[in-house]
Amino acid sequence: MAIDHDVVLLCVPANSAYLAILRTATAGIAARLQFTLDEIEDLRIAVDEACAMLLAVTLPGAELSCRFEIAKGVLRVRVSVPTAGVAPLPPAQSFAWRVLTTLAAEVTATTVDELAAIEMVSRGASGPPRLA
Amino acid sequence: MTANIVDQQSILEERRLADRDATDLLRTLAALPDQHPSREAMRQQAIEAWLPLAQHLAHRFSGRGEPVDDLIQTATVGLIKAVDKFDPERGVEFAAYAVPTIVGEIKRHFRDHTWDVRVPRRLQELRLVISEAAGTLAQQLGRSPTVADLAGYLKLTEEEVIEGLEGARAYHAVSLQTPAPTGDRGTELGDLLGTEDSDLELAELRVALAPALATLGEREQRILTMRFYGNMTQSQIAERIGISQMHVSRLLARALATLRGELTEASLDA
Repeated sequence: MAIDHDVVLLCVPANSAYLAILRTATAGIAARLQFTLDEIEDLRIAVDEACAMLLAVTLPGAELSCRFEIAKGVLRVRVSVPTAGVAPLPPAQSFAWRVLTTLAAEVTATTVDELAAIEMVSRGASGPPRLA
Repeated sequence: MTANIVDQQSILEERRLADRDATDLLRTLAALPDQHPSREAMRQQAIEAWLPLAQHLAHRFSGRGEPVDDLIQTATVGLIKAVDKFDPERGVEFAAYAVPTIVGEIKRHFRDHTWDVRVPRRLQELRLVISEAAGTLAQQLGRSPTVADLAGYLKLTEEEVIEGLEGARAYHAVSLQTPAPTGDRGTELGDLLGTEDSDLELAELRVALAPALATLGEREQRILTMRFYGNMTQSQIAERIGISQMHVSRLLARALATLRGELTEASLDA
């Protein structure tokens, strides 16, 4: 199945019990993009870690949004929550960031208009060559 | 038939001799002071001498949906614990002491790792087939396989492979109801995930991470270090350690979840 330039949106309650759904979606999308098993598992763990960070800065009852953007074999995952002024995101030198930056090709975090977001890009670079 | 019996007897005889050597080793080991320079080498030797026992016990639990390699690994952990804690002064045979320790370790493995979600037998089998094929293909291709690679190799559709991978995960989903490793007062893992650890400064984090890492098993620590500080891929780690890539992934996810809980608690104590 060829997919390109598609966007998948998922919103779940900001509760760790729902992370499994996001992990599964992540794996399903990455698998269809011909990512290797290594890349699929890495991305799953990255999404998990990013969501855990976000859950720490929001309040129960909030909504966790996850946006998957697929373009030219690149998967861009953006997870976000409304911040409740509970706490800032972990500093860039923290272990959690180390985990994220190891697992994804690019990671950026932003807090704009009381919305904390983490965006990860995975290119699936180690798989077989893909048609452009 | 006769030849078989003779064979069996000579094997048993060999085994008996080996057992005696192994018992002697343990006695010598126990007599050595803790800091003795040859202690580590001797401990290694004792462990290796008793490996057949661990392997034998591991095989007794095979065919229940866990890869034999993983079972042997777990049994070996049990064996190492037994070797380290064995006291020959108590007059108990090592085997009599080690068997329950090893079996206990294997049973714990089953309790920790077996299906959280009831997964149909077909999917359990599919998971094993995929895990094996992933290893074979990684060798052949020189890289981790894609779902399409797996589907082609196994003559399945990509959908079926994805389904199998999902089944594999249900099998090891970290249950949020598992008691947190250090938690008392009935704290569950879910309660500890991702609370305030955000304003820890780097230095504090380093300090906090060390004891947290220490709460992980030796193998999990190694895997975590290889992945996040050695920049090795899951497949490379799998090959180095001698377990499947899917198992590496499972251990990584669990180690990170444990660490999140640990760091949280450390920061709450501060």
